Amino acid sequence: MAILELEHLNFHYRTLRGAVRAVDDISFEVEKGHTLAIVGESGCGKTSTAAAILRLLPKNVARYDGIVRLDGKNVMELSDEEFRKTVRWQGISMVFQGAMNALNPTARVGKQVAEPLQIHFDAEKEEAMARASESLRSVGLPEYVERSYPHELSGGMKQRVVIAMALILRPGLVILDEPTSALDVMTQTNIINLLKRLKKEEELSYIFITHDLALASELADEVGIMYAGQIREIGPSEYVYPSPKHPYTKALLKSVPILRSSESPISIPGVPPDLIESPFACRFHPRCSVSFEECGWSAQEFADILERLRASGEDGGVRWGEAEVEDDLTLVLKPEDGMDPVTYRKALEEAFHEQEESTRAFKAVTKVEVRDGGVAVTLHEATTPYMIGEAHRAACLLLRKGGEKDG
Amino acid sequence: MAAPPALGIVATLKDAFRTVPGIVGGGMLVALLAMVVIVPIYAPFDVVSTWGDVSAWVDNPRLAGPEWSDIFVPGTLPRTITIQPEDFRKTKVVSETFGITTIVLRSTFDFSADYFPGELTFRLFTTFKDITPLVSVQLERPDGETVELLRTTPENQAPTANSYPFSQTITVPETLRNIRAWATSNFNATDVAFPKPEVTLFAEGGEDMLDPHRARLMRGEYGIRVIAVAFDSEDNIDGRFLVFGRVFGLAGTDHLRRDLLTGILWGAPVALAFGTVAALIVILTQTVFGAISGWYGGRTDEAVQRASDFFLIIPILPILILISIFYRPSIWAILFVVVAFSLVGGTSKVIRSIVLQVKQEQYVESATSYGASKIRILFKHIFPRVMPYTFALIALAVPAYIFLEASLAFLGLGDPVLPTWGSLLGTAYNNNAMFNGFWWWIALPSAGIIFATVAFALLGYSFDKVLNPRLREQ
Ligand SMILES: Nc1ncnc2c1ncn2[C@@H]1O[C@H](COP(=O)(O)OP(=O)(O)OP(=O)(O)O)[C@@H](O)[C@H]1O
Ligand code: SF4
Ligand SMILES: [Mg+2]
Repeated sequence: MAILELEHLNFHYRTLRGAVRAVDDISFEVEKGHTLAIVGESGCGKTSTAAAILRLLPKNVARYDGIVRLDGKNVMELSDEEFRKTVRWQGISMVFQGAMNALNPTARVGKQVAEPLQIHFDAEKEEAMARASESLRSVGLPEYVERSYPHELSGGMKQRVVIAMALILRPGLVILDEPTSALDVMTQTNIINLLKRLKKEEELSYIFITHDLALASELADEVGIMYAGQIREIGPSEYVYPSPKHPYTKALLKSVPILRSSESPISIPGVPPDLIESPFACRFHPRCSVSFEECGWSAQEFADILERLRASGEDGGVRWGEAEVEDDLTLVLKPEDGMDPVTYRKALEEAFHEQEESTRAFKAVTKVEVRDGGVAVTLHEATTPYMIGEAHRAACLLLRKGGEKDG
Repeated sequence: MAAPPALGIVATLKDAFRTVPGIVGGGMLVALLAMVVIVPIYAPFDVVSTWGDVSAWVDNPRLAGPEWSDIFVPGTLPRTITIQPEDFRKTKVVSETFGITTIVLRSTFDFSADYFPGELTFRLFTTFKDITPLVSVQLERPDGETVELLRTTPENQAPTANSYPFSQTITVPETLRNIRAWATSNFNATDVAFPKPEVTLFAEGGEDMLDPHRARLMRGEYGIRVIAVAFDSEDNIDGRFLVFGRVFGLAGTDHLRRDLLTGILWGAPVALAFGTVAALIVILTQTVFGAISGWYGGRTDEAVQRASDFFLIIPILPILILISIFYRPSIWAILFVVVAFSLVGGTSKVIRSIVLQVKQEQYVESATSYGASKIRILFKHIFPRVMPYTFALIALAVPAYIFLEASLAFLGLGDPVLPTWGSLLGTAYNNNAMFNGFWWWIALPSAGIIFATVAFALLGYSFDKVLNPRLREQ
């Protein structure tokens, strides 16, 4: 049975440049007692997904809808007050990214760990403090920590405090947002072992947010790969790790450094996309090494690529003239120094064909024809990928029935 | 602006009192509090009502400097010599034959100061049946001379005194005549336009003894003799003789002979009470509004900020002056007006900006996520962070309010009855203390104001040192 189900969850921020689509139509579920790892590059929307689940909305929220089902009940229908009282910490608790700052510097640790108890159960002070110290003991902290101020503790200790705090109300689901990213490897291992132990003892479910695929494999029953505000591949880790389906997952796995291996990690070219004007169709297409004509190239993007190639002198002998975008899929190139359009057309067509492996946008070219003293380039229409598969799903056009490509 | 340093109130206070300005300011504050404790011991009477009662101070010299002004001049300045009724040796002779009773009072005193006394006063207390007795008051000098100061028939029955002042400004005309006649005939003294009885009577006999500028002081044992001829055997007289000095107490006196030390000591609790109460209430309410403004945001924020702008541009001093002119409010009414016009203001803006930073911190979001209500977060997590700043702001605001009270009092618009540092200065100013050289009247109340404001400024600075990372020493 699923403890948490998300269906078409959207969570966008409003900014001056436009809406940031940090959580864009995300659906997944977390089985009771399981750990779902959400992996993705920085800025892909992992923390925002967690915030959306816990309804931690900033002032500048532009869109927030979808279904969040906790134990089968849609909590999106609850009022803010009901949500605060029933869901927060009792149903779902969270360990925030950067636990160093998740503690109030002016209050003693014990008091802070006890606070959720006092809020939700009106617990007596002594009783709450007793529970707090029990909780602190269960995450392996010595007794004196209770009376310490946060700045007197090490990073690892603070992380444990925050975990103790997340567990104090015995929630069914704990969201762990990069719980170990600021820690050294030994401490990291300790915390992971602690999380494993607690999970078994308390029958917890975790959403484990990280940018580290290797670390995720330690804990995860399922992995979800996130890219530009969307889940692109999700499935049991025993399927995803050995046989990733999505090119982005494959690239991510190749970028993991392996100890004592002769293979050096391969980084993914390009930069993570902008979540305001994200690439069309498959958002990964500008960085995908196996992309093809349907993946989402637009005339403007194509023109930009030509411009970039020309600036870096990689035009392969052909002078790409000025590009003029006509519509989404058509652009017109003007030959330089009075070249005959017919010859120019031929040269272009050859260049596109020759270089389509290195500049994959060229694969999208369907038609190159002479028009008004220039050459019109028409691109293939794009198709938006959708999740394909049952238990192990991914969203890539290559996964459609019929193998490599249609037609 | 860097994120606010993460210190609790207690830690901040501890740190602040460890800095040099903290220690000095704290010490000065303790001294001020000591003054508050001393008042009831030094002036164990109702200072407020006594201050306005001129008759309560008549035995003090007028406009005398503090006793320690000796250090500025060669020799000793005269202290006040008081001969009380019980100091007089009284002889009473009843003569049956003539039906008259003769009463003689006599006493001596040693005059050893290096300057002439300030003025002389004789107070006569008489009880008589039908006819007022005939009284003669005489001064016996070390050179054997006796001068009759006065021959009178006192009208007032005891306990009301018959008061006879002898000084340049107010003298029984007869006395001046007597002295003139005595000096010119016995010593061939040259007469001048304005002789001073207190000089001539204590001067060495000679040509210059009537001239206040040239007369030479005669030290030695003086005597005072009072002879009364009464007409009933039950009649009685008593006297009090005062040779006023030129210095008095630790802080001198004012034009109404009031002991300025009483006023200055009393000024400390008034200044402290007004300054700290005003600063506490104003800064705390502004903190609360500022925190609410920053924390809740939106329309609340807008409302508080616009109100702050409004109150910031309202000039409080002219308003207070207007109110004071029309209503002569007490100090507490003034305080009320000050608070009413400062519920929001500069501090709300400062605190709001700090809260806006604290709000961004992870633990605040964390508190939201574990279900803490907005109001709980405000009290449990936001206030503890801004409180150290509030303390610093309170310490820095106290001098401003002490000054405000002093300014109003100086302008004569403060509390009409309380002696405060500002009102002492105001009366000094109105009595031309500056031109007349009554320096103590100005210097000492000013010292009080400066002392108190510097104490709080240093405390505020010590907080600043702890809270402002740029000022923090290693
Ligand atoms: N309050 C906000 N207002 C506007 N944009 C925001 C806000 N919070 C986050 N974003 C943007 O949303 C995107 C996703 O942010 P998010 O914090 O969810 O990323 P993340 O995957 O957690 O990254 P990281 O691994 O660095 O923590 C980013 O581009 C970020 O700039
Ligand atoms: S759809 Fe698949 S192949 Fe095409 S760009 Fe996206 S990930 Fe690459
Ligand atoms: Mg994050």
